[in-house]
Order: sequence, then C-alpha cells, then structure tokens
Amino acid sequence: MSWKIWSLKKSPWVFHVNTGACNNCDIEIVNLLTPKFDVERFGIKLVGSPRHADALLVTGVVTRQAAPRLQEVYRQTSKPCVVFAIGACACDKGIFTTGYHVVGPVDKIIREVDPNAIIAYVPGCPPKPEAMISGIVQALSVL
Amino acid sequence: MNQEELNNRLTEIKDKLTAVEQPADNRIWLTCEAENSYEINKFLFEEVPLRFVIATGIDSDDCFEVLYHYAYDETGCMITLKANIGDREKPAIESIAPFLPGAEWIEREIHDILGIDFKNHPDMRRLILSDDWPEGVYPLRKDAEKPVSRPDGEPLTRPTVQSQSPARRTVPLSKPVVVVGPFHPLQEEMEFFQLSVDGEIVTDIDMRISYNHRGIEKISESLQFDQVPFLVSRICGICSASHPLAYVQAVEELAGIKPPERALYVRTIITELERIHSHILWVGLAGHFIGYDTVFMWAWKYREPVLDLLEEITGNRNNYGNVKVGGCREDVPNDLIPKILKELDGIEKKMEMITKAVLDDPVLHARLKGVGVLSKADAVKYAVTGPTARASGVAIDVRRDDPYAAYADLDWNVISQPEGDVFAKAVVRLLETFESIKIVRQALEKLPDGPVAAEVKEIPPGEAVGHVEAPRGETFHYVRSDGGNRPVRHKVRAPSFVNVPSFKASCIGGHIADVTITLAAVDPCYSCTERLAVVDNNKVIHDYDTLLQLSREKTARIRKEML
Ligand code: SF4
Repeated sequence: MSWKIWSLKKSPWVFHVNTGACNNCDIEIVNLLTPKFDVERFGIKLVGSPRHADALLVTGVVTRQAAPRLQEVYRQTSKPCVVFAIGACACDKGIFTTGYHVVGPVDKIIREVDPNAIIAYVPGCPPKPEAMISGIVQALSVL
Repeated sequence: MNQEELNNRLTEIKDKLTAVEQPADNRIWLTCEAENSYEINKFLFEEVPLRFVIATGIDSDDCFEVLYHYAYDETGCMITLKANIGDREKPAIESIAPFLPGAEWIEREIHDILGIDFKNHPDMRRLILSDDWPEGVYPLRKDAEKPVSRPDGEPLTRPTVQSQSPARRTVPLSKPVVVVGPFHPLQEEMEFFQLSVDGEIVTDIDMRISYNHRGIEKISESLQFDQVPFLVSRICGICSASHPLAYVQAVEELAGIKPPERALYVRTIITELERIHSHILWVGLAGHFIGYDTVFMWAWKYREPVLDLLEEITGNRNNYGNVKVGGCREDVPNDLIPKILKELDGIEKKMEMITKAVLDDPVLHARLKGVGVLSKADAVKYAVTGPTARASGVAIDVRRDDPYAAYADLDWNVISQPEGDVFAKAVVRLLETFESIKIVRQALEKLPDGPVAAEVKEIPPGEAVGHVEAPRGETFHYVRSDGGNRPVRHKVRAPSFVNVPSFKASCIGGHIADVTITLAAVDPCYSCTERLAVVDNNKVIHDYDTLLQLSREKTARIRKEML
C-alpha cells in the first residue's frame, strides 16, 4: 500500500457532488452528519471544496449539463481520490436510463478523464445511511 | 365569486373560443386558435382573475398544442385553455410573459423541448437543455429520434465563470458578479445564479438551470400507467409522496376510478408525515445558514423518528412508492397506530421547543424580519405557491381549496402571514408542522376499515389534471391518454418551478449577506451553495465560505448590538 493511500484511509474528507439526483441520496448524505449517524466520529468530514477532499460522494445520473462539471470537480481533487457512486442513479442511471439528457453513469464520465480512477459503488434508492457507512468502510478496507 | 358566477364570467369570451367543455363542476376545458390565445390569457389572468399554474406544450401529430392551466382557488376550479398551432414548420404563438412573469420560464422550456417560438418573449434563452445541446433538436417532438446524448470521446467544454457565451451573459463583466453554484455539498440540486452587486447591494439576478434535467416527462411516455408513480416519486426525494399522488389523482379522474375510503386516509397520513419531515428539514437548514448550527443538528435529529415511521409503514425512509392508481400499495397496520401516536407526541413536544426558541429569539427577529420580502402583488405576479405564497398573505392551499384524499373530513387550519419576509416563511412552516401533526392524529383516529386498493381495468382515452399540496407548494400533473397503456403526454410542474423565479423580486435590493437565507427561504429544491463566489473582473474576492461567514457575522453583530 502506498503511503498516500494509507494516509487517506484514516479520516477521509469528502466532497459531495450532485449530478442530477432526486435529492434523496443527497439528504441521506447530510443525514450522515447529524446526531443519529454522526460520521464525524470516524473522522469523516464534509468539506466545502474538492481541493480538500480525499473522496467524492457522487449522486445522480450525470446529466449532459453536469458531466463536464463533474469532470472538472474530479480534476480539482488531489489524487489519489476515491470516487463513491452513491445510489442506483450514480451506479447505473437507475430508473432514468432512457432519459435523453442523461449521459452517465458516474464511472463512465470519470473514467473519461482518468482511466485508473478508484471507483466504489453503493447501490440503493436511496441507500440507507447505514449502507453508506458500510460501503465507505468496506471500500477503504480493501484499498 | 362562486362557481356559477365564474362560469358566467367565462361566457364573456365565448365567441373567441372554439369549444368549451365542463366534465365536472370544477374542471373546465376551453379551446381556441393560437391567434386569440394572448387576449384570452390576458382576460383569464387579469380580468377574472385566475391564478396561473403552468403551460404544457404537446406535439399531437397534426398540430402543436399549448395548454395554459389556471386555477380558481375559491372554488378549487381548474381551467385549461388549449391553443392549437396549425403550422408544423414554424410553430409560433404570442408570449404571455410580458404581463405574466410567472410564465417566463415555462415558455422558455416549451421552446427548448418542442421548438415552439414565443413571439415578444422578453428573454428566449435556453433554459433546461444543456449548453452543448445541438440546435434544432427538440426532444419532446414525436418524430424526435432519441438524440445522441453525447458521442463518446467528444471533448467536454471546461466550465469556468466565463464559459457562458456572451449572448447568454446578461451582466457586463465590468460589474461585480456573485456566482452561486452549480455545486455545493450541503444537498440537493445544482443551480447556477449570477448576482450583480453594487457594493453590498444585489442589483440583478440571473439563473441557469438544466443541471438536473433528466427528461422525466419523456421517460414517462415510455412507461405504463402503473409504473409511472415509481418514476415521479423520484422527481424530488422530499416530495416523493406528493408527486405520485398528483399523478395518480389525474389518472383516477381520467378513468373515473374511486379509491376506497381507507386508501384516502392512508394517503393523507403519508403526505402529512412527509410535510412534517420536510418542514423540519428546512428549519434545520435555515438555522445553518444564519449560523445557528445547534438548530440544524436538533432539527435533523427530531426528523429521524418521522423517517422511521415512514419506513415502518411503507418499507422505505424516502421514495415510498406507496400510492398507485386506485389506492395504495401498503396499508397502515392497525397495531402500529398507538406507536405512531406516541411518536407524534414526542415530535410535537420537540417542535414546540424549537418553535418557541425561534419565535422568542430577539436576534432572529432582528436578523430575519424585513429580509427578502416578497410582496403580495409579486407573489400573485410570479404565481408562487405553498408556504412561499402563504407567507406573503396569499392564503391558498390545495388541501382546502380543492380537497383530495381525506382532507375535507378533517379539522385543520391554513396558516398564512402577511409580511412576506424570511421570518414569515419560517413562522408559516413551523406552525404548519403542528397542523400536520393534528391532521395525522385525526386521520389515525378516524381511519375506516376496508381494503386500500380498488381494481383498475383500463385507462380510457382522455385528459385530466391532478394537483396536490406538496411541502413546498402545489404540485401539478397533467396526463393525456389515447386508450393505450402508456400516457401520451405527462406534464409535471413542481412547486419550485414557480417559486424559484420569484428570487428576482425578493433578492434584488437586498444585502449580499442576506442572499443565502433569502434563496433558502423559498425552500427550493436547492439550498445553500458551497460553491458561491463573488467575482470581480474574473478575480474571486469572496468564496462561499466568506459569504456564509458574512451571513453569520451579521447575525453575531445584531446579537451584540442587542445585548
Ligand atoms: S438513487 Fe434513488 S434516491 Fe438516489 S438520487 Fe437516484 S432516484 Fe434518488
């Protein structure tokens, strides 16, 4: 394990990117921070700039308008950066697969700019907060 | 004016119409030629006057139709004016936006998706399609092939503040511009705002949406009537009970289906629980924006029991997927009722505490009163709905005006406030939570026995509208069927679509430090923005953190002055 990955695993700071979600995944992410789930006790912190982030929590189908913005946000993160595709939409476009304005899913758009990106998937519609925590922990433990 | 007087009023324009239908007492369908639509719309909006709901554009093979939906809230009457545009080559119709700013966005949207030109529209820029969408491709036309989303490997334009084409930029770059969006980690959708500022004062606001446009109306045409509720509940996560309900009511009206009594009560319970958790969520976020993070954490903590209840009833914390045409999928089990009542007591107590803390806090009074005022006249002009309208003294509420589910049998009040400022919006939402708790309690007590779903056979050809009071305002759905098993057109109007443009009226003239809370006060499906930057000649001078800081400092300053 490179020291970079090792240093990232202890208290990952995350940046949240909505690329065309229905808000549920997003609200559940915010829910993680509030007293019932409180992920800050694991050192997981939501930050305000991708430049501070160790991981991106990406939700939504990636609409045509959002795609270049997602790539730009990814470009701004310091590498290595783990991308979490949160929710059915982000994993495989979910119920919106046939939408004309949908160019996702997330992994495809991210891989266009970085073929070796580390991408983890947390399915669910929306995934329960517990599932998100478990997904993040599992992904970090295999890195 | 009662229904009869309204009908008489409408006969004044009879000779301009080609058809008038009234399938039910409070549903009226008018048809006219495109040339007359401007005059008739002006009459409906200004003379009668009706509340503008939305317009729908339809490609019906031989012609284009534009449907203008209006509501008359005193009798709960929905009036639809259909204008036929015969010319398929160059479809055009007179814009109604000059006298009805609330129609500005929807005309832009129809232009985007159907290519109908609105003559004399003040601002015909692209609205919901992406910047790089090919010109001349109109996704909702029937002959549109599925447009290639984006050829693989095609380079994407790097977004920067300057990436907007000069034509799209309304403010010259020499003026300082505050850029809000499109990304922010707090939650919800991306939206992009440009605020022109003069010192601390906001002088203009320009918006760009599209980031979240998923083309749901088109996807809906490819789903069966029974599958659509699952799609529309995913339009917006927090309104995931209201959207399907509005759709289902439209289909039930179209097919003449009467859901069983118990189903109506279950629907009431679910939608009210949704309103409770949505309003609490807003209170928390509003607290965060003005620097009361304790309120944020508390509110979200007290919201959890509501989500747990919903999970127990429907199987999911959000996206309940509970309503279906003809009734409900899941029942509220009778043995769960005592538990729900007990939880409600707990939530009520906590909400009383928060409400008292907010209403008695002199700092909050000083910080939020007179901020982001939306006057009653503007509220009518922008056709806003929900708490945004009720806080400006426009006491409309679909639950009372055109009762659906079980609301007519229950005893509750419509909360409204005359001031129109952020404080009034907070008061309306806080007090509404108590009304919702009252409604759920009564509904649980009166819950009739019986099945929760009626049998549905066929959906006949026809068209109908359904509307529901979602937490943010009126959610409106229009469904047209040709007798097959899928809708041929399904139009959705979420409340934020009319509430968001009212920023133009409430932000201009205000302080930069007040912008975050003014934008959030509407509770758009959009909240604070983490990528908020003030750009002066392309140099970032304030980023989001400083703006949030400005907002919080103002609160702190007021607090100090008061001591
Ligand atoms: S996965 Fe489900 S909950 Fe999440 S954004 Fe998509 S539709 Fe919404």
